[in-house]
Amino acid sequence: MSLPFLNAASAAAQAPKARSVINIFLSGGLSQYDSFNMEVDKAVIAKSRIIKSNADGVRVSHYFPTLAQQMDKLLVINSMKSNQGAHPAGIYKMMTSYNPRSSITHPELGAWINKRMTTERDSLPNFVSIGKGSAGTAGFFPGQWAALPVKNTSAGIDFVKRNAAVDEGKFKKRLGILDSLNGDFDQDYGTKDTKAYVDTYKGSLKFMNSKDIDAFDLEKENEHIVSLYDRQEFSRSCMLAGRLVERGVRFVKVELGGWDYHDDLYGRLPSNASKLDKGLSSLLTHLSQKGLLDSTLVVVSTEFGRKPGVNPNKGRDHHPDGFTCLMAGAGVKAGQIYGSTTKDGQSAADNVLDVTDFNATIAWSLGIDPAYEEMSASGRPFKLANKGEAREALFA
Amino acid sequence: MLCMAVSASAAFAQSLENTAHARQIDQLALEQLKQIGQNRRPGIDDYAFCRRVYLDAIGRIPTIDELDSFIADQQPEKRARLVDKLLNSKGYSSHWHNYWADLLRVKYVGDKLHHPGNYSEWIKESLRGNKPYDQMAHELINASGELYKPGNGATGFYAREPMPLDHLANSVKTFLGLSIECAQCHDHPFDDWTQKDFYKLAAFSSKTHLRVDPTPTVEKKTYARDRKILKNKDFDEWIVYRESIRVKHAAIYGNGTGFMRLPHDYQYDDGEPFEAMEADVLFGDMPKVNHKLTKAELDALKNHHFGPEINARQSLADWMTSPDNPMFTKSIVNRMWHQVMGAELAGPLGALTQEEMGDHPALTQKLIEIMKALDYDLKAFLSVLFNSRTYQSKALALNADAPKYILDGPIVRRLSAEAIVDSFLSLKTETPDRYVATEFKWDGFTNFYEKSQKMGVKDFVSYSINGPGRGAFQKREEKAAKRRNGATGPEHLWRVSSYGHVDGNHEVAMLMGKSDRDLIDGANKEPDIPQILFLMNGDLEHEITTQPKAFIHRKLDSVSDPAKRMEIIWKAILSRLPKESEKPLFSNDQDDLIWALLNSNEFKFVR
Repeated sequence: MSLPFLNAASAAAQAPKARSVINIFLSGGLSQYDSFNMEVDKAVIAKSRIIKSNADGVRVSHYFPTLAQQMDKLLVINSMKSNQGAHPAGIYKMMTSYNPRSSITHPELGAWINKRMTTERDSLPNFVSIGKGSAGTAGFFPGQWAALPVKNTSAGIDFVKRNAAVDEGKFKKRLGILDSLNGDFDQDYGTKDTKAYVDTYKGSLKFMNSKDIDAFDLEKENEHIVSLYDRQEFSRSCMLAGRLVERGVRFVKVELGGWDYHDDLYGRLPSNASKLDKGLSSLLTHLSQKGLLDSTLVVVSTEFGRKPGVNPNKGRDHHPDGFTCLMAGAGVKAGQIYGSTTKDGQSAADNVLDVTDFNATIAWSLGIDPAYEEMSASGRPFKLANKGEAREALFA
Repeated sequence: MLCMAVSASAAFAQSLENTAHARQIDQLALEQLKQIGQNRRPGIDDYAFCRRVYLDAIGRIPTIDELDSFIADQQPEKRARLVDKLLNSKGYSSHWHNYWADLLRVKYVGDKLHHPGNYSEWIKESLRGNKPYDQMAHELINASGELYKPGNGATGFYAREPMPLDHLANSVKTFLGLSIECAQCHDHPFDDWTQKDFYKLAAFSSKTHLRVDPTPTVEKKTYARDRKILKNKDFDEWIVYRESIRVKHAAIYGNGTGFMRLPHDYQYDDGEPFEAMEADVLFGDMPKVNHKLTKAELDALKNHHFGPEINARQSLADWMTSPDNPMFTKSIVNRMWHQVMGAELAGPLGALTQEEMGDHPALTQKLIEIMKALDYDLKAFLSVLFNSRTYQSKALALNADAPKYILDGPIVRRLSAEAIVDSFLSLKTETPDRYVATEFKWDGFTNFYEKSQKMGVKDFVSYSINGPGRGAFQKREEKAAKRRNGATGPEHLWRVSSYGHVDGNHEVAMLMGKSDRDLIDGANKEPDIPQILFLMNGDLEHEITTQPKAFIHRKLDSVSDPAKRMEIIWKAILSRLPKESEKPLFSNDQDDLIWALLNSNEFKFVR
């Protein structure tokens, strides 16, 4: 049993930089040399064109014209490194800080944060995952710490509303019968498991009736905020993430997949890049206007990057040594570049940041010790960020 | 005629033997109760028995017709006859397919192109033939050869793990119930196992590995030239070339050298990094291993030498599955008891110890003897359990005030995810077992494997250029395999077991806590908000609660007497008659009652 903030080795004895985290995860592997790492030989950039941004010395590819005007809010990390080069393993490593093993599943960072930061007062779950793709697993933690999934923003949370044909009075009647049946069953057969069900029904009803549930309803968003975004699903997801953070949700994961361009990169990248360009730009404006950017760490991550060379099929293959992630908000050194790759783009060079260090830094920004430990069911100890250490230098 | 008489009398002898074993269990439980002065639990009525044994034997509640016909049966031995009937029904294969596919983690693992279809076929075949458990285990541990060859699906067990040491730890947990994975990297903190023990055990299967591509010799001689041409020409064609060749060649190679080397960072005083370790078992008698090298000879060779293959893995399978291995039988008996009674007999499923025999060692011992006497026939073993008075006792709610002895009957527990979803079927249709896993083949890669036997390099190239293309390659083979099944019926009437592997999981079953098959015993029975939201506001409303075509509504339509209608609702959903105290509820609307009963704890729990 460990108590929050009372760990002896509390390296995180600092005021939190962030209240919440939005993690935009680009599954498939973003090509760093066609997006945000322009600090390499011209040949590596291949067909992308380099454009200036609104931050001195920060350049981006021409696929990101809107973000180019927001780079003063973003920190570019060009020295990311992972030890996994296949998608499932790479995603697993980025999400959990551990290599995949067949004897245990590890909780995702969002689940650690959910478990560590949730209090009695919270009426919304503290880990929400928006979009298709990886669910937000609780690993060896109890299932309650897994992400609440929102598969698409227009449908919202599955089944959170009563069936159309069931009005409030009818629903109340049904619940009345249910109470009576459960009370009766409990007399003879009640256990902590049956009680857990009764409690979770209560919790679900509280959730259904919560004032905060409209946080998931984009129709309720202020027109001015809606007008910042276009109608694409990724942009809508970003808007929802902003809305949830405004209501205090601690960790929101937004997934945008499709970056695995082994062939025809320059034919297929533009439309996906445009989604990221617009959605992320709008989100940064949204958070700034609401005064939330100072307390929200926005992270753009991916499982690995792409090779410096373009292959014969005009695509780029996987490359985990020297890829690029972004951070914004919560006092990061915005408008700057951190770390580098070698000029030939082959490997991370200065200030190498392992994915475990990356995750440790996110936890640290929330005021959580990255070495915080929990036991698996079989009594094995695991640390939140594995062996990762927070890189305080990313913050001003 | 004669033949039928013989088999009938053999079946009769078997059932006599089972009854005798069941009485031995009851006797031991009674003695224990008497000794500690605890009262025997009351027996259950026919309604409760019927619901319970349907759930435990075939994984769903009885339909109202099945319940009615059991209650109406006036012939003697009706419970024993029901047990027999269920164990020999299609529902049995469906329910136990879920169990084995979870334990053996049958799953599509995308990045190495493992297709679990053939592996799953092997489990189905084992269930159809009621293959003895020790034989199943032996085949799994010792499997080798091509992954997709018909009948060779047991190789899927080895292919499931990318890393040999992880595979060993998982095999030991699966079949011996021991948790030795800590010793993979360091001496076990609270058990006896040392890292050296682990490596000695790993020596039996050293150099066993999954290889999806052709061997270097075959590659060079046959495929390399065109592989290069395709790679430089068209990415998608190259991918189809690579993957279709893999279906032909993917295989488990190696059968164990009997030697392993300590890891490069070995930290203890009793050995050196890279020192050769000769195969040795964790306990019990060492099986015969025909080493061709001595340890000293191997130590003299370079670090990457493990010695010649000598089929040492078979010796490991012999040792693990032997009736003389005390953990092998204890583990399966513990698992079966837990599955049917809900309590731990000898300890936690994957964390037994050698000495521990549980709260009632004599009972554990007796069950081990029965399992051996039945030659690991799991159907017969289940029949023994189901026919015991112990099983047919009132379920116990395990609370702080629970009595001391709890092995005198089942405990109250939540249904498995699959059983909840399959029980919905008993309300939707009168034939809920019509579409079960063991009647379908989802073996697209086996399909292609058979074709590929006649394919040479030219055919693979032509398939890559003119075939269905990258994304469609796997899907086409899947579809072809499905077509070979003939009509498979509408998916909404399938048992959960029938859902394919590549198609993805049964979403509602996942919501209820079905195992994702990443880990051994990965299912869970906890509630969470998305699950409850589904039960309250989800598809059940139009599938059952208000669906006029659902079986429960068709039954209701034929009856006009209000009290009889209530009986139908209670019997169909809770498998019992309404209690006197529940009669005030009758004034509610029919759909509200159905909703409430479906959402009740009584529906979700075995009692």
